[in-house]
Amino acid sequence: MLRYIMLRGCLAILVAFTVSLAAFLLLNVASDPAQAIAGEDATAEVVETIRARYGLDRPLPVRYLDWLGGVVQGDFGESYYWHKPVASLVADRVDETLTLAFSALAVTILIAIPLGALAALNPNSWIDRFALGVAVSAQAIPNFWLGLLMIIFFAVTIPIFPVSGDSTWRHFVLPAFVLGSSSVPAVMRLTRTGLIEVMGADYIRTARSKGFRGWQLLRRHALRNAILPVISVLAVQLGQKFGGSVITESIFAINGLGRLALESILGADIPTVQMLIFVFAIVFVAMNLLADILNAAIDPRIRIG
Amino acid sequence: MNLNLVRALCTASALALAAATGPAMAGPEDDTLRAAMAEEILNLDYNYTTKREYIILAQLTDATLFELDPATQEFRPSIATGYEWVNDLTLDLTLRDDVKFHDGTTLTPEDVAYTYNWIADERSESNANGVVARWLDKAEVTGPNTLRFKLKSVYPLVLRDMANRVMLRKAGTYGEGDAINRDAMANSLIATGPYKVSSFEPGTELVLERNEDFFGEKPAIKTIVVRNIPDIGTQQAELMSGGIDWIFKVPLDLAESLGQTPMATHLSGPDLRVGFMVLDAGGYTDPDGPLTNVLVRRAINHALNTPEMAEHLIGGSAEAIHAACHPAQFGCDQSVARYAYDPEKAKALLAEAGYPDGFPMEVWAYRDKAASEAIAADLTAVGIDVNLRYVKLESLNQARAAREIPAYFGTWGSGGTADTAAIARIHFDVESDRNMSGDEELAGLVLSAEQTADQEKRKEIYSEALGRIADQAYWAPLFSYSANYLVSPQLEFPLDPDGLPRLQNATWK
Amino acid sequence: MTDSDITLAAVELDQTTLLTPGQIFRQRMFGHKGFLIGATLILIIAIVALLAPVLAPHSPFEQSLADRMLPPVWSEGGTWDYLLGTDQNGRDYLSRLIYGTRVSITIGLGAATVGLLIGVTLGVIAGYFGGWADHSISFLLTAQLALPGLLLAMALVFIIGPSIWVVIGIVGVLHWTYYLVVTRAATQRIRSLDFVAAAAAAGASPRQIIWHEILPNLMSSIIVIFTFELGIAILAESSLSFLGVGIQPPTPSWGLMIAEGKQAMFYRPWLVILPGICLFLLVIGANLMGDGLRDITSPEGRNE
Repeated sequence: MLRYIMLRGCLAILVAFTVSLAAFLLLNVASDPAQAIAGEDATAEVVETIRARYGLDRPLPVRYLDWLGGVVQGDFGESYYWHKPVASLVADRVDETLTLAFSALAVTILIAIPLGALAALNPNSWIDRFALGVAVSAQAIPNFWLGLLMIIFFAVTIPIFPVSGDSTWRHFVLPAFVLGSSSVPAVMRLTRTGLIEVMGADYIRTARSKGFRGWQLLRRHALRNAILPVISVLAVQLGQKFGGSVITESIFAINGLGRLALESILGADIPTVQMLIFVFAIVFVAMNLLADILNAAIDPRIRIG
Repeated sequence: MNLNLVRALCTASALALAAATGPAMAGPEDDTLRAAMAEEILNLDYNYTTKREYIILAQLTDATLFELDPATQEFRPSIATGYEWVNDLTLDLTLRDDVKFHDGTTLTPEDVAYTYNWIADERSESNANGVVARWLDKAEVTGPNTLRFKLKSVYPLVLRDMANRVMLRKAGTYGEGDAINRDAMANSLIATGPYKVSSFEPGTELVLERNEDFFGEKPAIKTIVVRNIPDIGTQQAELMSGGIDWIFKVPLDLAESLGQTPMATHLSGPDLRVGFMVLDAGGYTDPDGPLTNVLVRRAINHALNTPEMAEHLIGGSAEAIHAACHPAQFGCDQSVARYAYDPEKAKALLAEAGYPDGFPMEVWAYRDKAASEAIAADLTAVGIDVNLRYVKLESLNQARAAREIPAYFGTWGSGGTADTAAIARIHFDVESDRNMSGDEELAGLVLSAEQTADQEKRKEIYSEALGRIADQAYWAPLFSYSANYLVSPQLEFPLDPDGLPRLQNATWK
Repeated sequence: MTDSDITLAAVELDQTTLLTPGQIFRQRMFGHKGFLIGATLILIIAIVALLAPVLAPHSPFEQSLADRMLPPVWSEGGTWDYLLGTDQNGRDYLSRLIYGTRVSITIGLGAATVGLLIGVTLGVIAGYFGGWADHSISFLLTAQLALPGLLLAMALVFIIGPSIWVVIGIVGVLHWTYYLVVTRAATQRIRSLDFVAAAAAAGASPRQIIWHEILPNLMSSIIVIFTFELGIAILAESSLSFLGVGIQPPTPSWGLMIAEGKQAMFYRPWLVILPGICLFLLVIGANLMGDGLRDITSPEGRNE
């Protein structure tokens, strides 16, 4: 098991480097950092001066290896825009994204698991149909549009929550709902199927025959066994929340990593993009690894397949 | 939906928002002007920046040798009290002796000479290097408050560069030899302007306090806070809730809608920015392409309904333009050939040029999406099969440098300089990739204007150049811009004809 | 899944009366409410797309700057000439929404096909050959999932230039992973079955086995994924267009229309709300159809 984890860890780092190389090449093809720094009315001379100042006139392989050399020593370079180390830039903003990602996850859990459980307890009832309706709709709503709808609705109709910014917990309610709702269908369906399966198992029948009913049965026996696969899916979803934060953070003006990623991609701030992609890739792979380990722990047969 | 109801509700929500976010009320109570900018402020030293936001801030923090009078476009003495041309290549200046830096030390001629020599030195890698190195050979101290500038070549715009481009620093600021530090003033600025930096958090907030030792007229408002709020919607909400007193670059629709509420006042002022289409007359993308034919270029000029674009899409004081410059600029001759909006004539010209069924054309654009689309639609209407490429500015510049762009919708703000020189050279110089005319004679004219000190002569040269541009239809000039501001109803914010916002002139009502 | 009792009953009935597979399929299809709703939605939208020139009252590109930002007919200032009002260039919003169906459907079908070709090819290779092929392909999968699609989209749009085909390519390249995962697992399973071993023993080449034994058995799952990916690809296109790196103006793409309406959304919310509703209906149609097809084609009548 330990060897397996080590192997996957190395894979994660390899993935992060591959992805960062791809990102580096793509960004250099699609954009010109010197021009982005210089601005709209800059003359060619100014752009060239800036290009030389940041060493952007060196060949691509040299610049990539230079970056790589820094990373190996734990130095992710300095942002072209912010004139400070990228690592501290990321550190400054990681709080907002973690808050958003975990509160989105909480929203997912609070909606999906009760709904899935209710649906499983009452298959084919109105609540089961309702849950299905929620899942199908949530899957079909464009995330960015849901965000805009929330802003229009909460700014105009019932102004309970602030519509943008990140200074208080109230600012996170709407974005967390928007980001969290996208994971509801997967988690809810898994909870429902898992529970239905478990409820059909022998030991539940035994429990039932002993007189356990409804929630009691669910809580004491069924949920505990159905929950592990759900947790593993939640881990994967959490990994995706980091990537999903790009649009949500931009719409709600949250100063987190997602917005930093969008801004630095659009502004061709290569060192920042590089580090963010590196971090996102590692988080993503780590969360998948966690899910795999959980799955393996539940069912040793999986390791064979 | 009832629009008024929506507005009322918007207002209510903004108030609720303000109540929720706490008492950050700006205004005369604490004599603090709170401005919002979308562009992140990351560097306070204008010697190392270019963008417009930085020009606005440099007006507050820095004083220069001369000062531009926005109304008359004349250069007034500022730190320099007087100047004298010894000959075409030698300029003597006398300085005030009561100018203090923000740290209390007195400005000396050594500081001025240091700053200019540093910027002219290519090791400075200053954003102003290109401009200054073009004319400055050396600055020398000649007395306790006098100094001499030696020029490399005749250059009539020296005073302009001294007023706009070079911010004075203490001698030795940027270090020497191996210890060069170009970011020395990026985060904590020591300058000579009417405001000094009280605190600065890059990308978040800049707080400026009135400099009580300022040698000139002191501004009325004591504190200016500049906050970075990237989203215009958030800026709007903050303005409505009273957290912000001043925003600029407001889209017309938003400015008009919000200006009708009691929460904000909509100010629309002139802007030296002009919009235009540059056409590949020189055949860089296709030596025999349709755009090399003057009839086709004239047809494009006739096809564009620029008065309607100016009125509906840009609004305010925007107008259709006909010459390749802003009408308020010195030398911008308005008597050049005009092409009225006439789609039928455009079609006839295309047919005459041998393209009765039009031709495919890529049009690149990077801002004002609605106007870009309007241009594309007008050209499509006369039969040109337009493929609009709406991209980021960097992409446009990159593709233009590679000579891959047959036509683009460009804009130019002239850095707020009301002189045709500020738009002509960069667009018609032989070396500029913005110049797609391929007309070397025109480039010669533009260059000679810059080397002519006689103003009347200069005007004549520009008339000739602009006339040639219009006759040959190298451009399709579109419209001038207007600058839209939303300000707190309590704020008095005077607008200048050159379109540069000067927060130092704001007062409370 | 809502109709599991009905379908299950149908299955039992099938087994007793011995219907042909085609009959079972039809019976299940018409017994599945979700599938019927989804298919109807898709059918209606497809008809709108086909008949766009007939249905649209104006050209989607025709601008009238003096009539810009008109509200829909039911609100103050609206006119019957522009039922759903006009956009920032004075173009008829209804006509743009109608033509938008063409953009979404073209991109949905195109991108889902591109994804299918990439995903199924890699999935079958990984599943059939295993070993290093499998390892490299899963590495590719992880790397792809970790790379922001926005970056890829920006680079490709810039290099190749924007067109509907480029967007199809980008969205397709970003959405092959689901096909890969499913076909890889299914191929591994089928490969270990007796009839494949028999074919191999009879001297069939891997190529023959893949084409004649494995792919036909994957067909039904591929069709189900295709239907889901149709919806996902449409959403992906709208997000990219919303961020400005997808469909370019003046082509009427719903995502782009939402982005253009965003600036004035407090004053003219319909500019944002209407295209979003269109997107929602199209995607939910595709998803319901996908859910339905999965239930109908799986041997037990439902499969979750």
